[in-house]
Amino acid sequence: MVQNSSTSIQGRMTTFSPVLGPVVLTALFAFLFFAPMMLNAGLLFWVGMTMIQAIFALSWNLLFGYTGLASFGHAGFYAIGAYFTGAALRYDFQLPFLVVLAVAGILGALVALAIGVVALKRLTGIFLAVLTVALTEAMAKIIGLSKALGEQDGLGNIPRPIIDLGFLDLDLTHSHDYYRFLLIATVVTVAALWWVVHSRLGRSFRAVREDAERARFVGIDVARVRVISFMISGGTAALAGALSAPWTRIVTLDQVNWLASTQPILNSLLGGFTSFWGPVVGAVAYTGINYWTRTFAGLSEMLVGGILVLVILLAPTGIVGLLGKATRRIRGNGGKK
Amino acid sequence: MTSQAVFVLFNGLASGMAFFLVAAGLTWVFGILKILNLAHGAFFMLGAYIAFTVGGAWPASIWSFVGVALIAAAAVGALGYLTDQLVLKRLRNVDYHYALIATFGLMLFCEGAAKFIWGTDYQAVMPPPEIDRAIVVGGSYISLYTLFVIGAGIAVFAALEMIMHRTWAGKIMRAVSNDPWMAGTLGINVPMVLMVSVIASFALAGFAGGILVPNQALSPHVGASFVLYAFMAVVIGGLGSIRGTFIACILLGLVESANATFLSQYGGIAIYVMLAVFLVWKPTGLFPAQGAT
Repeated sequence: MVQNSSTSIQGRMTTFSPVLGPVVLTALFAFLFFAPMMLNAGLLFWVGMTMIQAIFALSWNLLFGYTGLASFGHAGFYAIGAYFTGAALRYDFQLPFLVVLAVAGILGALVALAIGVVALKRLTGIFLAVLTVALTEAMAKIIGLSKALGEQDGLGNIPRPIIDLGFLDLDLTHSHDYYRFLLIATVVTVAALWWVVHSRLGRSFRAVREDAERARFVGIDVARVRVISFMISGGTAALAGALSAPWTRIVTLDQVNWLASTQPILNSLLGGFTSFWGPVVGAVAYTGINYWTRTFAGLSEMLVGGILVLVILLAPTGIVGLLGKATRRIRGNGGKK
Repeated sequence: MTSQAVFVLFNGLASGMAFFLVAAGLTWVFGILKILNLAHGAFFMLGAYIAFTVGGAWPASIWSFVGVALIAAAAVGALGYLTDQLVLKRLRNVDYHYALIATFGLMLFCEGAAKFIWGTDYQAVMPPPEIDRAIVVGGSYISLYTLFVIGAGIAVFAALEMIMHRTWAGKIMRAVSNDPWMAGTLGINVPMVLMVSVIASFALAGFAGGILVPNQALSPHVGASFVLYAFMAVVIGGLGSIRGTFIACILLGLVESANATFLSQYGGIAIYVMLAVFLVWKPTGLFPAQGAT
């Protein structure tokens, strides 16, 4: 039932009606834009982290939901971006902030290219999963030994940037200002990903996921498409990390271990990997669960773990899939074809 | 120099056998179910906590220590039955991604439950008094507990080899592992074989928890570090092959131990290099199992 591609495509098409989508998105943007005036500093921090986690989850789902490859070491890319940006700001590399972000993304994409060229052709399935986990762990070990990157203590005291646009300076040192920059960066990134998955390239991703053999017959270079998807995904994950460094103002090894790699997986599945917006919904739901259970040791893991198992067993298309099913039922065709 | 080499050898063998105690159940269940159980380390951790709760921090003798480990094995085996009925049974015919992610959820659940029941503080368990001392071998101090772990690993390996290659039950297991459909048409109760394998694998994890608990600071995260080594061993050895996993564990243990002694400023990195080399050189492992993806 899980691999049934026709239901997954149907879910993607019918989840949001053409009118509802833009209305929801506009309302969401308005709420997020005025959030600094309504929420206290603690809650605002959680909202900012949710946006970063949403980008991170979208980057993972581009690989899994669209191209059919699973990376279990995605935190490695996130950490590349976070550590590079942290170091660039802390040691003042004399680069404009936007360039720093771009370089972070390119670094992530280049590492993805290297892994893709060496491993993606030879390794599939569980071997790829274990390799990505192991590479991330190795990176954590190397960072843990590097003095410039703060060894086991992490890189702290990261200053927030000032963007020089030529005619005016955008001072992002106040958290409200950085928050708004983060919001705009999130919107731009999500829009770019939306464009990618709805372009010709995105269709070739899906063709490879559905049936690599047939995709090859119609002239798609499967290996190349997989590497490109891996690069976009890795670059976007690095960008999420890069955006996080000035927001949290500290980058630690907790963001590099293999448990951190599972965060985007959780969010994507919870929200529903068959929908473009699923990972975003999942990131919001996950932050909510964590926020309400944060004072009870162990409870949040039990809840998240339990929910994850239930989602896989009962509703593999996640929250968005359930919503889609519910709307179809309300409209009267009972979800049947 | 000799004393250092002896030290590296024994320490390496001991960590290798510790990895194997965890990896044995993992590779067994993979061989039969084709599911890489990410929650395996969490059940190992539960076994360690159960042993700590039943036996206390100061085991009276080596016999009670082993007895407690067997109780932990039985308890975790029972949990395995429960898990199989509730979760794993439903994952038999789905894409491996879903199985990986579901067992990951299971792992989170177990870690959360352990935090809930036992708290997040570190606990310590002593080795039993008979083996809580060191002897001198080749100019180097080797603790008897280290030798005990090596012995336990070899014993478990020998037992599994005997069962898999010398008994009727092992033959049935291998038949089901090769081709479950064909085995079913020959009148083998395949669901039963799958269930027994899961219970045995979980019991092995619980036993490993009981035996290895004196080795480390016990916390709800103790499983995560071990299971990563176990995964690496299973992948290097060839998924589902107990022999391959055994050899890979010894290699990993020796490389890790040599790395810690001779290149301590880069501690812990050599095994990842080794894994990467192996995956590129032999992408399907030392002893590729049939049907492994």
